[in-house]
Amino acid sequence: MQRISDPRTGAEAPPQPPSLRARTFSCMGTVVSLTLPSASGADELVAATAVVERLFAGLDETFSLYRADSEASRLARAEIKLPDASGEMRRLYADAVGWRLLTEGAFTPERPDGVLDLSGIVKGYAIQEAGTSLLALGLRDWCLNAGGDVLVSGSPGAGSPGSGSDEPWRAGIVDPQDRRTLIAGYPLGGANSANGANGANLALATSGSAERGDHIWAAGAGAGAGARAASGVRGAPAFRQVSVAAADIVTADVLATAIVAGGMPMLDRATDGWNIEVLAVQAGGELLATPGFRR
Amino acid sequence: MRIRAAVSAALASAGILLAGWQSGIHLEDTRSAAASTSAGTNGATGTTGATGTTGATGSTGATGSSSSGSGSTDTGASDKGSSAAAGTDSGAAAEPTTGAAAKAGGTYAGSVVQTRFGAVQVQITVKAGAITDVEALQLTDDDRKSIQISNRAAPLLRSEVLAAQSADVQTIGGATVTSVAYLNSLQAALDAANL
Amino acid sequence: MNTQLLPALPAGSRDRKGPGSFRARHRRRLFRTDLLTTAAWASIAAAVALWLADGGTSEFSTLAGAVTALGIVTGLAGMDLVLLMLLLAARIPLIDQTVGHDRALEFHRKLGKPSLYLLLAHGLLIAIGYGMAEGLDPVSEAVSLWVLVPDMWLAFISMALFIAVVVTSLVAVRRRFPYEFWYAVHLLTYAAVATSLPHQFSVGGLFAEGTWQRWYWLAVCIATGAALLHYRVLEPVIATFRHQLTVSRVVQVAPGVVSIEMHGLRLNELAGAGGRFFIWRFLAPGLWWHPHPFSLSAEPLQFDASGRGLLRITVRNLGRGSAQLAGVKPGTKVAVEGPYGIFSTAARSRDRVVMIGAGIGITPLRALLESTPFAPGQATVILRGRSEQELYLGDEILELARNRGATVFHLTGPRSARHTGSWLPDSATDAGHRLADYAPGIADADVYVCGPGAWARNVLEDARAAGVREDQLHYERFDW
Repeated sequence: MQRISDPRTGAEAPPQPPSLRARTFSCMGTVVSLTLPSASGADELVAATAVVERLFAGLDETFSLYRADSEASRLARAEIKLPDASGEMRRLYADAVGWRLLTEGAFTPERPDGVLDLSGIVKGYAIQEAGTSLLALGLRDWCLNAGGDVLVSGSPGAGSPGSGSDEPWRAGIVDPQDRRTLIAGYPLGGANSANGANGANLALATSGSAERGDHIWAAGAGAGAGARAASGVRGAPAFRQVSVAAADIVTADVLATAIVAGGMPMLDRATDGWNIEVLAVQAGGELLATPGFRR
Repeated sequence: MRIRAAVSAALASAGILLAGWQSGIHLEDTRSAAASTSAGTNGATGTTGATGTTGATGSTGATGSSSSGSGSTDTGASDKGSSAAAGTDSGAAAEPTTGAAAKAGGTYAGSVVQTRFGAVQVQITVKAGAITDVEALQLTDDDRKSIQISNRAAPLLRSEVLAAQSADVQTIGGATVTSVAYLNSLQAALDAANL
Repeated sequence: MNTQLLPALPAGSRDRKGPGSFRARHRRRLFRTDLLTTAAWASIAAAVALWLADGGTSEFSTLAGAVTALGIVTGLAGMDLVLLMLLLAARIPLIDQTVGHDRALEFHRKLGKPSLYLLLAHGLLIAIGYGMAEGLDPVSEAVSLWVLVPDMWLAFISMALFIAVVVTSLVAVRRRFPYEFWYAVHLLTYAAVATSLPHQFSVGGLFAEGTWQRWYWLAVCIATGAALLHYRVLEPVIATFRHQLTVSRVVQVAPGVVSIEMHGLRLNELAGAGGRFFIWRFLAPGLWWHPHPFSLSAEPLQFDASGRGLLRITVRNLGRGSAQLAGVKPGTKVAVEGPYGIFSTAARSRDRVVMIGAGIGITPLRALLESTPFAPGQATVILRGRSEQELYLGDEILELARNRGATVFHLTGPRSARHTGSWLPDSATDAGHRLADYAPGIADADVYVCGPGAWARNVLEDARAAGVREDQLHYERFDW
């Protein structure tokens, strides 16, 4: 495994790093990585990756606006109407509208030009479905990373003798100003988290205003966002990058997107209303963080 | 020539005012995070039914009335939140503080309020008429012995975040990278090492 | 050439560039004027921006907050105006050479009332705004501020001093009191500013420790103080020691008018000052503390290359202070500062020049006529007095004009009783003469006017009527 070492401190790695195995595939315009403890065996990883890849590919076929023949594209061209759309499309749309209400308009499934755009929620949904499938396959310890959004289960050390099976997956968060360095770390899962017993956060999603920002729209005219939300996002966005750790990936993904779009007021609403941890990188590079991200 | 002077003076002044205003807006936003502690307490007061304390504030008279007046507007602006907290504090501590003394500065302790984080007592520090610090004095929780008063995001230095650089990580979070960008990403390095 | 003193060549040949370069120089001066105007307005905007940058607008959500916020803004703008006033009175060469001493002081006076009103509004609004927030009436709030908040009692004293300074400076009051009293009260400005400073940094949250606003404000205040100290104290002291002026003789020129000749060192540095004025203090008992603004009435006469030589001022018995000057003993040391003002070649914008002087106001014109460049036939000098005796230095001017090719008019006779708006003697007014009749090309000339206030206003009026634009008019008040 790769050790990302800090040139400043030159700190040593823990004595026995867990041995891992990873596979990647490309989908939804990004790369998805599935990582398992190597004790699980190579065949298991290949099979699991195939399941995840099939699931991602299926969703991409339905929801991609980049494929002219997808259901989402035909909806966008108004060739079909929403009531006539597939059950999955309608369910995801309903979820997205629910999130729009919960975030007071900061998250919205519609582009300003009125085109239905579920891409803000599809990836989170895909990761969640993939996670469910992996658990159904009987896999307890895994880490699924789709373009920087992470969902984990169990522990990276599981199965390797000598290291406790309760250690969390450690996720690093990329510095938006220098994508080759990390600004923070965050522990995901661990300690029997496969049962979801201790309430540890399993998902980490990150949204940015700099990269592929097209799918995040400033919620200036958002219904409940009000004047302060508008002032928060007037001109340049308040945040360059927002990372949200939550119990599930859809919540983390949606709220990260919403905070980037809704600025400081949305950040406050999110930390008040959900049991999440947030690390936000402001436009000037300063950090805002909830206690969970502090040392 | 006088026109040139008038125009350039107007432009320069407008530019400076605009710059000041813009940076002020920026500050208001960060302030709302800093002052959020008190606002959070206030909101919690309402929900957990500890409104008794607010009632007590009202009974102290002039100080309480002015603070509750400003607190009653529900825009949720930062400064109102803090002023409401100030009112609660001075009222609860039953200090006959004139506002002038508060302007001069000092530290004031508030009453214990039940919040969803447990019992909380707030201490505010006033400097030159402005609340400079809100601090939780007493924090108890059912299952955790000590807890932050609020989950709000607060400013912090890069050196203060959970250390990531020196520790091993197994995965990398970041704003969505494209397939092309992935090739140069840290996650790609991790994946390559584990292939 | 001159019969009494031989003129020295000016130190720098800058002023001898000759006709033609005046327009370019004038454009540069106008550019500097605009730049200073812009900077002045920008400084006021910056003061308000300090508050805006501190998120001040959020205070407008409540009435009490809005009143307090307005109080803070008026205080910031008021203090900024006060600092501008101090800078305008600091005799900074850049300002002096750009707008001139007289106009700088004119702006200074114009800012007096607005700054006082802003500071008064500041005090009232703060008392009301704080009072509203606490349920107190403004008077009780003011008392509690005075008693409870550190440094606020100083701010109250400062406010009283500011009121005293501005009220005594108003022209009406100034006429009623002697100049010395007005001058002494004006020194209180420094006390007023000094007592206002502590509360700005200790009470105002805007300038709390650790804010960049605090550094900006400190820098502005310190820079203003440094400018005052340097240009109003250090430079004069240095000039005094540098030139070592001593009165060598006092000559009666006309009834009530004396020329004071002084010898000193490095006088070449004072040459070329034209009609610019110096501030003189004669270091004798009862005289030393009284500053006298006078122009040189002739270019300094130099004995050798080191600048040792003589210079001369011509003084008329106008006030008590001037009257004492006639009694100055030879050997008296003289403190000097200057030269100030742009009643000089620096103000030229055209090739033609018209100089109009009355009474003792003629003397600066003599030095100007001696030094300012013009081609023969392009200068007109108009001297005005009740009688030929009042045309001080008239002979010298005639001699200079003869040598340099200038036209001179002597207009004598009592001030017109029938034509109150006229600056000419009755005879001329009756004949229907106006300024343009004496100086036909005046519309394309620089016009220098020096004399009593009311008379000068009439001249300026006549000049404007003749088509002279404002930036061609250069005048110096000679009230005192």
